[in-house]
This record gives sequence, C-alpha cells and structure tokens, in this order.
Amino acid sequence: MAVSHVANSHTFEVTTPSDREIRMTRLFDAPRHLVFEAMTRCEHIKRWWGCLGEGYSVPECQMDLRPGGKWRFVNRHPHGEAVFYGVNREIAPAERIVFTEIFEQFPDAESVVTATFTDEAGKTRLTVSVQYPSIEVRDAVMASGMDKGAALSYDKLEEVAARLAAM
Amino acid sequence: MATDQLSATFAALADPTRRAIIARLASGECSVTELAEPFEMSMPAVSKHLRVLEQAGLISRGRDAQYRPCRLEPAPLKEAADWAERYRALWAQRLDRLETYLQEMKAKEKKHGRQSRRK
Repeated sequence: MAVSHVANSHTFEVTTPSDREIRMTRLFDAPRHLVFEAMTRCEHIKRWWGCLGEGYSVPECQMDLRPGGKWRFVNRHPHGEAVFYGVNREIAPAERIVFTEIFEQFPDAESVVTATFTDEAGKTRLTVSVQYPSIEVRDAVMASGMDKGAALSYDKLEEVAARLAAM
Repeated sequence: MATDQLSATFAALADPTRRAIIARLASGECSVTELAEPFEMSMPAVSKHLRVLEQAGLISRGRDAQYRPCRLEPAPLKEAADWAERYRALWAQRLDRLETYLQEMKAKEKKHGRQSRRK
C-alpha cells in the first residue's frame, strides 16, 4: 500500500462501533474553526471534497447551514457523477454538526451523519459517525460501490483477512 | 435487494455469531459439534447460521453425511476485505486532501490576519 506523506495521515482510523454504524476519525493540523469552515462552506468544499485527482471535481454545491436547511453536492468523477443531498439538523459552529444524507442512487437509504470537532494537543480531531437505518439499507448502500457506503464490522473483517493472509 | 456476491457476503457477516464462526474456521476446518461448543447454542441454531454462510459461499461442507466438516472459502471474504480496504483508502485520500487544503486556508488566514475568520 502506498504510504501517504500528508501530515497526520497515520491518525486516520475506521471502526464499526455497531452493525448500523461506521465511524471515522483523523487529526488535522488546523484549529477547529478552520476544519469546520472547510467542511461547511461551498467555496472550500469545492476545493477538497471528492477532489481525488484528475477527472474529479465538485461542479455543484449547495449548503444552507441552518437547522432544517438543505444541502446538496455533486461529485463528478471519471465514470460519471454521484449526487448526495440531505438536511442539516444541528449546527454548533466549530463543535458539532448533525445532518441527514442520501445518496441519490438509493433515495430510501437515509443515513444520519454526526461530525464532531475536538481539540487534541494543539490539533483538531474530526470524528465522523454515519448511522444507517437498518442492516439492509447499509448493505444496499455498501453494495453500490465506491463513492459511498459503510464497511460492516471492518475491524472484524480486517482480523479475518489477516488470518487468511497468514494461512 | 441486491443479490451480488458482495451484498451476500456482508449480509452473512452481519451477525456476531457468524463472524465468530468465520474467525474459528480461519484457523482450520472443524465439525458442527466443535463449532457449536463455544457458543452455548443448540445444534439446530448453529446449523442455521452455517446454512446462511454456505448459501453466501463463505464456507463449504464436506460430503461425508456423518461428519460434514466445515471449511472457509477465502475468495468472497477476500473480495469483501478488498472492498473495505478500498473504502478505507478512499476516505483516507479524501481526508488527506482536506489536510492539504487546510494548510492553504491556514496560510491565507495568517496573511490576512483574522479578517477571514467569521465573527
């Protein structure tokens, strides 16, 4: 696997605290308010979210950053476009945001995303938890492929994969 | 509901007992009786889990009618692990990109003093 030279890359972790949830966390060398702004303002979102390289861009971004406000992102990628949308539920600037998220391909599969921003040794820890309504919905979203999904018991899977590799 | 292999694999793994069975079989094939032991479950209950795993192609059963040892079929698990790794890698890459972008934001904020920061 390629080793990233980006700061704090090694602090990224994916865990599955429950069968309906996936949680990701990472440290960033920036104050909380900046991480919050980067994640909630379109001028910034367009510059990083889904910008994985050549052929990737965010041609559309709408964000009404109020409880009940709608949001919508379009991610153009080499094979087409992926559309995500939802409604903001809670906005505590630089602390916590809660919003619903739907991947347009599966309009019935609404997930609830909670992002928290905390100080940690002069850096910011971002923790993103995605909660799916049921195992079936999560599996359907997962099976949709690369752009969105949750990894079921990824830690367990990794454990099994490691054993398989050792066989 | 989708019925592709990846969905079948994840659906079969969406149960702690079945994951424990898979983990047990990763260290070698064994009989249903041996598998049932650590779970304090009835044989029919274990057999039901084994059927789900077998239908998903995650395990296979021997032909011997009496013994029928269970063994792991690694290919679908490998596919699922690869998928999970791609998922992880995608998000790692996305958040690396955010880190890089934050450094640009920080540099800008420094240059413009506290102007860009919302009051």
